[in-house]
Amino acid sequence: MSNENEDRFVEAAKRLATEISPERDLWPDIAAAIDAPKRSKWVPMFAQAAAVVLLVGASSAITYVAVKGQQGLAPAIAPELIFEQTSFGGRYNLGPGFQDARALLAAELDVELARLSPESGNDIQSNLGLVRQAIHDISQALEQEPDNVLLQKKLLMAYREELSVLRRVSGLSRNVMMRNDI
Amino acid sequence: MALLTANCSDYSQMMVTTTEDTVADEAAWITQAQRADRKAFEALYRLHSDKVYGLCLRMTGNVSEAEDCTQDAFIQAWNKMGKFRGDSAFATWLHRIAVNTVLGRMRKSKREQDRIQSVAELSPSPLSTTDTGELRDLSEAIERLPAGARHAFVLHAVYGYSHNETGDMLGIAAGTSKAQLHRARRLLMQQLKQQGFEA
Repeated sequence: MSNENEDRFVEAAKRLATEISPERDLWPDIAAAIDAPKRSKWVPMFAQAAAVVLLVGASSAITYVAVKGQQGLAPAIAPELIFEQTSFGGRYNLGPGFQDARALLAAELDVELARLSPESGNDIQSNLGLVRQAIHDISQALEQEPDNVLLQKKLLMAYREELSVLRRVSGLSRNVMMRNDI
Repeated sequence: MALLTANCSDYSQMMVTTTEDTVADEAAWITQAQRADRKAFEALYRLHSDKVYGLCLRMTGNVSEAEDCTQDAFIQAWNKMGKFRGDSAFATWLHRIAVNTVLGRMRKSKREQDRIQSVAELSPSPLSTTDTGELRDLSEAIERLPAGARHAFVLHAVYGYSHNETGDMLGIAAGTSKAQLHRARRLLMQQLKQQGFEA
C-alpha cells in the first residue's frame, strides 16, 4: 500500500512544470560575462609556479642550513647519538659514523670484559658471536632480496640485540634505532 | 537562418515555430555558436533557459541561487561550446552543466548552504505560483527533502532521466540514485500523508 502511495508521488512529479521562466531576463548578465575579455590563465599559472619554486627554494635552504649545522656538530655527538643518525644505505652497509661508534663500543667492551670474570666474559662473547653471525646471515639474505621488509626488520632486531648486549656491558642507555634507519 | 541576424528581441518570436523547425534551427545555432557567434548562442539561451532555470530552481529551491546557477551554466556552456560533439542532445548537455554548477556551488561552503537554507525557509516557496493545487504541496515537499534525495528525485521523477543518467550527472552510482529516490519517496509520503494528498 505504501509503495503504491510512493509511486503516486513519482507519477504526480511527472506533471510538475519542468520549464519555469525566470522572474527577470538573465541574458544581459550572461552576455556581459561572455563579452568580457578573458583573463589569461597563464598569469595565475605563472604566479602559482613562482610560489611553488619560492616555497621549495625556501624549504631547501632551511633544510640545508639545518643539516649543515648538524653536520658541523657531528664530531661532538656521543656514540649513542651516532646510532640514531646512522643510515645503512641501499646496500645495508654501515656508515662510517656507525663503524666508528662500533669500534669505540668494542674498545669499551674489551675494557669492561677485562673487569668481568672469565665465565661472564665468555658468555658475553658467545652471545655477541651469535648476534653477529645472525647479522652476517641476514645481510647476505638481504643481498638477494634487498626490499624484503621482514629481513630488514630482522636485521634491525639483530642490531638492536647487539646494541642491547653492548649497552649492558658499556652502560649505553639508549636504543633509538628504527627500521627506517636501514 | 535569416532570423539569426534579427534583433535580440525577435528571438522570442522565433520560438513560435514547429518542432522540426526548432530542431533544425537548434542544430544551426549550435554550429554557429561553436564559431563564437554570440547571437546564435543567445538563441540557444532563449530556447533552453526556462528548462535550465526550472532545473536549477527545483534543485536549489531558491530563486537567487537558481538565477546565479542558470547564468553560470550558460557562461560555462559558452566556454565549452567547442567541446559539444552531439553525442547527447544539447539540452541534456546543458542540464549536465547546470547540475554540475548547482553541485559545485553547494559544495563551496557549508556557510553558504546554511544561508541558502535559511533564506529558503523564510521565503515563500518560489514554485508556489508555478505549480497549483496538490502539485504545489508536492512541489513544496520536494523542496524540503535533503539535498541528495531531492536532486535524485528531481532528475529522475520530474525530468525523466534514467538512474544511469541521474547517477552520471550527480557523480553517484545508479544504485545510489535508486536508493536516494526510494528515500525521497518515503520522506515525501511522510510529509504529505497528513495533508490528504491525492495524486
